[in-house]
Parts: sequence; structure tokens; C-alpha cells
Amino acid sequence: MTERMTDQPLADQATGRKLVIAAAADLPPGTRMEVRVGNNLIAVFNIAGTYYAIYGRCPHQFAPLSRGRLQGTVICNAQTNWETEWAHEGEVLVCPGHAMEFLVKTGQAIGYNLKLRTYPVYEEDGQVVLIA
Amino acid sequence: MPSEIDDLDIKATKVDAAFTPVQDQDLDQYGEALAQYTIVDTDVHVDDTLMRMVDYMEGHYQKRLQAALQADFRGEPGNSLRNMIAHVNWLGSSYDKPPRAKLATKTELLERMQLGIINYSILFPSELLPIAYLPDPKWAAALATAYNAFMVDEYGNLPGVKIALVVSPNLPDHAVEQIAKYGNHKDVVAVCVPDVGVNPPIGDRKYWPIFEAADHYHLPIALHGIEALVHDNYPLRVSHFPTLMQVHSMGFPFTGMLQVMSVVCEGVPVRFPKLKFCVVEAGLTWIPFIMYRLDTAYRQYRTELPALEQKPSDYIREWYWGTHELEALPKRGDLRKLIELYQGEDTTMWASDWPHLERDLIAGFMRYDMSEAMRRKILGENAVRFFNLEQRK
Repeated sequence: MTERMTDQPLADQATGRKLVIAAAADLPPGTRMEVRVGNNLIAVFNIAGTYYAIYGRCPHQFAPLSRGRLQGTVICNAQTNWETEWAHEGEVLVCPGHAMEFLVKTGQAIGYNLKLRTYPVYEEDGQVVLIA
Repeated sequence: MPSEIDDLDIKATKVDAAFTPVQDQDLDQYGEALAQYTIVDTDVHVDDTLMRMVDYMEGHYQKRLQAALQADFRGEPGNSLRNMIAHVNWLGSSYDKPPRAKLATKTELLERMQLGIINYSILFPSELLPIAYLPDPKWAAALATAYNAFMVDEYGNLPGVKIALVVSPNLPDHAVEQIAKYGNHKDVVAVCVPDVGVNPPIGDRKYWPIFEAADHYHLPIALHGIEALVHDNYPLRVSHFPTLMQVHSMGFPFTGMLQVMSVVCEGVPVRFPKLKFCVVEAGLTWIPFIMYRLDTAYRQYRTELPALEQKPSDYIREWYWGTHELEALPKRGDLRKLIELYQGEDTTMWASDWPHLERDLIAGFMRYDMSEAMRRKILGENAVRFFNLEQRK
């Protein structure tokens, strides 16, 4: 483990195990689950019928990301001609601790050079399967 | 209904989005490690909104506050003092993303204490923190009177719960009366001077009766800042900042530096050598700056401060400091290095600011490397000494 603390939460104990975490019917669009694998937390979301899984603790002070709200946020860059615009509606995971923001699809922290791990998650035979 | 699947060490739980900040998730993560320490949370806030104060207001102030509370103020909470007097240019700017700020009820405070991990909570004002820059000091005094009566009434005689009186510095005589009224109460452990906007700064002789009274009752002075939607006074003004992020970042530490400098340079520690001071909610990284910056100037300008018998840092080293809002230092060893730099192993006190939005989760402190002895002191032993508490573990 490196000394830089921002790296610490990214080091997880992924084993590549295929985990059945729920019946698909129990995780309909708009719902989420917190999956604890050993000491590791993973947040799983069903957004409009597609599943997303992301490392479950905020790298700031370890608050559980599974409880974070999903919303949009403001961006301002060359593509917006340096004007502030609302973007990523429904795809920004806001930490319920101190409101750090992550793109739930990629794990990218908005405004930080930091990316959380994401995990494969899909439906198979009526079950939600997480590879972690 | 939560559905759970247990597969040895795997557990999947259905959860809901949190609309208020998650609280104490770290306690379940660190509970076992923390159980061995006496832990004092040096900065805790309960609901002291004006609705709570109104029954404790006296005379015409009660009638006038009742009328004021019927008005519809934008913002959160609706009956907030800071919103009543705020310049609204920031409202909505930093409050547009969840989680939202939160005030703890008595039940929530007791539930947190009943987890058995935190042994003491020191309660500080929240909505009452702007009283030092209310234009009418009599209003400030009326609110302080109500706050102290409310707190002793509602939060006295609860296990592990201790109270910091609040005084309005702009009416020192009134502050002295309040200290005399509650100074011997077993659950009153400090005198809180809200320090933002105090003009002249708090070391001025005008305020010395407050220090004398606190000294008499062996109560330490705690300076508590505020995020401050309003900085119409020292050391920063509204016009300096287009965003609340900037006023938040500068307001607390600059106020802390100003007041520490003022107290030391006015000779307060020479006149009241046994009186203890602390600064809470201003972070830590600025402490070495002000200590050694003043030492440097002292060599040249000492004749301006003839009462001092030691260099400024020798006095400032005796101050205590609440850790919140713990700055995000990049490396695990950095907090220890910082504390060594200001020689604060025996004067740094863990503080969460629970349950406010910007509160520190204890995991944010535990992740830093330091000796076991230093961790034990910061989590509780230093605060036990500062607030005159009994060891609980």
C-alpha cells in the first residue's frame, strides 16, 4: 500500500468471484444495494434498467456511497465554451457524507484526479450477478 | 423490506438514498478499535434554532421574537438566525447539492451517546453563533440568556453531556452575570465566546471582565467560529468573497488567527495565567503559521507589547485546539508532523462538529498514523484535562 492516502480506498480485495446478490425482481430500476464482501463495500445501482457497481466507501472519510443521491451536476469546460451547464442528470453519485461527487458509470470523481473501482454487474437467469 | 444474502463473508442489503448526511458510519467501522479510548467529542451541536429559544426569552424580546418567527424566511432551517440576518447572495449557491445541513434532536444525541463509544459530548451553540455581530448587543444578550437557560434545562443532568455557556462579548457585564449564574453548574464546562465579527478583537480590555469571571469559576474560554454568511466585521468582509466555499475556507482560520493574536498581544495570558483557551472548528494547519509568524515580528516590535514575559509562541503553545474541520492532508504521517510543528500533542482535542454537514467522521482522524499515546491524548485525555472531566474508561 502506498503512503498517499487517496490511493488507500482504491485497494480492494476483489477476488473475481461471481456473486449472486439479489433476485432481479428485488432490485428494480431506481433502487440500490450495499454489498459487503469481507471488509470491502460495493454500491450497486439499477438506473433505468442498467446495473452499475462502484467501490462503496468515499475516499475522503469512508462514508458509504450506497446511500448517496443520484442527480446531475454543473460542468464548465471547453465543450461548454467555458459556460456553466447542468449535465450528467441522474448519473452523479453524491457522497452522503460531505457531498463529493462521482460519475456512477465510470467511478470518476468530479473535480479530482481520482477514479473509484467499478465492478461488472449484470442479470443472469433472473438473478443480479456481481463480479467482485 | 431489506433482502439479505449471507454467503460466508458476503452480505447484500437493500438501502435507500440518504437525504440528510450519514452519521457515525465510522463508529461501526472503527468501534472495536475505539472502545479502548476515553473519547470526548469536543464540538457537538443540538437544535438551538430560534423556535427553541422563544420560550426562554424574557420580557419584550419574547414577544418580538414570536412576531419575527411568523415571517417567512427563505433558507434552511426556516427559523434560522443566520438566515434572518444573512446577505442572501450565497444562499442556494452551496446548498444546492445534498446532503443538507442537519441539527440534532435530543433523542438523536442520546442515541449517539448510547452507542457507548463517545464518552462525552461538549455542546456548543449553532444558530446562536452569529450573536457577536448582531447590531444590537441587547438582542445578543437576550438570546444568550435564553440559550443558556434552554441548554441547562434541556441538556443538564444527562450522562456524558456537557455544556458550553454562550456569552455575548459586546455586553461584558451581561456575560459576567451569565457566568456567575451557571458557573457552578456541574454540567457547564466552558464559556463559549462566538468569535466571528467581534470588534474590537477579543483580547481588548473591554472583554477582560469576561475572562476574570471565567477564571473565577475555573471555566476555560472556547472560541467558536461560524461559517458565516455574514462577515461584516473583522477579519473579513462580505465583499471579499463571491462564493460560500471561499468564506468557509478563510473565515474560520482567519478569525482564529486574529483572536489568538489579539489575546496574546494584549497580554491576557499574563494577566490571567491560569485561564485556559481553545479554538474549535477552525482546523489546525494555521496554528504553526501564527505562532512563528508572531515570534518573528516580536523580535522587532517587542516594545509595543511590554507586558509579555515570553515570546508569543510560548503563550500560544498553552492553547488547546479542536481538530475539526480536519484539513485533508495528503499523507498518513502528515497530521503527526503538523502537531509536532505546533507542539500540540498535549493540547489537540478531537472534535467532530456532529451533526453538521461538514462534520468529521472519526475515520478521517483514525486513518492518520501517530503513536498510540498521541492518539489517546487527542481522542480524549487532552479534553478531559481542558474541560475538567473525569476519565470514563
